[in-house]
Amino acid sequence: MMERWLLITRIALRNLRRQLRRSSLTASAMVLGIGFLMFIRALEGGAHLMYVETATRMGTGHIAMEHPDYMGSQDLMDRIAASDLKRAHQAVEETARPEELVAAFPQVNVGGLAQSASSSIPVRISGVDPELEGDVSFFADKMVEGRYLEPGDRLEAIVGVAVAERLRLELGSRLVLMAAGAGGELESQLVLVTGLFRTGVPEVDRGVVQLPITTAREWLELEDDATSMSVILASDERTGQIAAAVRDRLEESGVGTDRIAVRPWWEAMPDLYAGLRADAVQTYVMLVILLGIVALAVVNSILMAVLNRTREFGVMRALGLNRLSVGAMVMVEGVILTLASGLAGMLLGLAVSLGLFRDGVDISWLFGGDLAFAGAIVEPVISPAILTVDVVAILSIVMAIGILATLYPAWHATRIEPAEAMKTDE
Amino acid sequence: MTSKRNEPASSPAVETHELWKTFGEGETAVHAVENVSVTIGSGEFVALCGPSGSGKTTLVNLIGGLTDPTRGQVLVDGRDVGAMSERQRAQLRLDRIGFVFQAYNLLPVLTALENAEFPLMLRGVHRDERREEVSKLFKHIGLGGLEDRRPGTLSGGQQQRVAVARAVLGAPALILADEPTANLDTQASDALLEVMEILNQERGVTFIFCTHDPRVMRRARRIIRLVDGHVERDAEKESGNLPSWVLEPVET
Repeated sequence: MMERWLLITRIALRNLRRQLRRSSLTASAMVLGIGFLMFIRALEGGAHLMYVETATRMGTGHIAMEHPDYMGSQDLMDRIAASDLKRAHQAVEETARPEELVAAFPQVNVGGLAQSASSSIPVRISGVDPELEGDVSFFADKMVEGRYLEPGDRLEAIVGVAVAERLRLELGSRLVLMAAGAGGELESQLVLVTGLFRTGVPEVDRGVVQLPITTAREWLELEDDATSMSVILASDERTGQIAAAVRDRLEESGVGTDRIAVRPWWEAMPDLYAGLRADAVQTYVMLVILLGIVALAVVNSILMAVLNRTREFGVMRALGLNRLSVGAMVMVEGVILTLASGLAGMLLGLAVSLGLFRDGVDISWLFGGDLAFAGAIVEPVISPAILTVDVVAILSIVMAIGILATLYPAWHATRIEPAEAMKTDE
Repeated sequence: MTSKRNEPASSPAVETHELWKTFGEGETAVHAVENVSVTIGSGEFVALCGPSGSGKTTLVNLIGGLTDPTRGQVLVDGRDVGAMSERQRAQLRLDRIGFVFQAYNLLPVLTALENAEFPLMLRGVHRDERREEVSKLFKHIGLGGLEDRRPGTLSGGQQQRVAVARAVLGAPALILADEPTANLDTQASDALLEVMEILNQERGVTFIFCTHDPRVMRRARRIIRLVDGHVERDAEKESGNLPSWVLEPVET
């Protein structure tokens, strides 16, 4: 059996070499197609990583912990108690490896009003810990005027540029924040504008105010409670695993899912996740269509090879090769051609993505101003990222197409009748 | 060549019973083989002669299971070829039958050696054993040193000898040869026929030739003449003699 397969593979390989020009033309179409798609997918993968990175650093974190009802109610009644926050922090530290954990910090998020001397607008008010969050906060990188919050700040606050514009605020302006406190009463807090940020995400720039968490807690009578705890990880690879482990650890320590919901970012930001999924699906649909067209070239190439060798197949059948083995020989030929082209295409894609565009691709010329994607900001330079899942998926699609494209020529070869075939000139 | 000798089988090597092969239908139907019943014993050296289009190649193809009869029966070693599945037929050809074709029909992507060992590879014979058998036979039939050459670089005579080597290696019980000397000069033909005679006499291999070549017919010990698809004459003869009827023109 082994000898038979060796023979079949040897003949298949030599026939590919014999039809070098035709094989190369078919292969080059595949190599270029797959290389191009690989590069597009790498760019997209890089952009997706960036979206996730910025979105998580805007406060949600890779893992977001909240009271299970807070997402729907946005009510301070649905908050995490100080003791539970402590346990959550412990659970994170026990679960994530030290090198994986970048930061874990509480936040107080509440909807309210911002009022200046001239006007008032609805805003989302975030109480943040500058000491814990300062190094990783996306806002810290996006200050256009003034400075980000610092440890020791009390009445300082930062606002989006559009908030400042609408309320006619400048650095040092006074601003009154109003929101319902823990007791249900409307409470107000005076703050001073110490910095303006521009994230590029319109809804953030025109509707977010940040102040120190200590001030927010006092103002809203929250003591040491918080509405959420965010965890920033060094990479997104183990987010799901860590989230599940934290959930288990909290359950073990008596803090059930009725008190803290532990959500990986894709559950905490379903819109972003759906956007990324739709984007990837779109690319894969394009990949399948493009490879489907390339598959026609493979069908043509292999079928021509079979028709040109009708006599040879007849001879092999006469010598005792059964139909199945003849079909297998053609299949091997087609699959080797597609797989080799697929691998070469992937290498080309890798070389272009990681070699030629290692420093990223500047797409700012495509978009006039800032670009936001499902609530996440897009940087003008995208670094391509090759994801294992893409490599596996593209290889699987190439294999499937290779097999499908060779089925018809292989079936045709099995129908060759030896006596008739040996009468032909081919 | 193997050291095995084909044991005389209890049943004839080949039997055909009222065998018909018709191409086309109705008024355009052509009977390539018409009611042919012959029995060829094990170890016979038979020449099928007759004018072009008399059905020689079709009869050989029917015997080898390369095409299905329209009617009638073919038995090889007593086994009904028509009743076999495609897979069983392929196995029968692999195990019991060697073919030599007029047009050599070597596979161009394989070397001379690989062409010759093709059936042995299909049978799963170990590489060393195969190589030993091929090189012994190649030396014997004057192909020594040509093992690694592709068919395109060999002369017609050399190619036909590779084709014969492919047919005889592994000692099949029956060799079907369709005009094996048609493209060869006298010297090459004689050398080839000698190899075949040796195989026939020393190893008891049954040979059935389709031929127009008097040199082949002289060596045959039985000649069957086909005309318009049916057997016109079937006679045993002494080696060397050529009966006059063999080359007679066909009466119209």
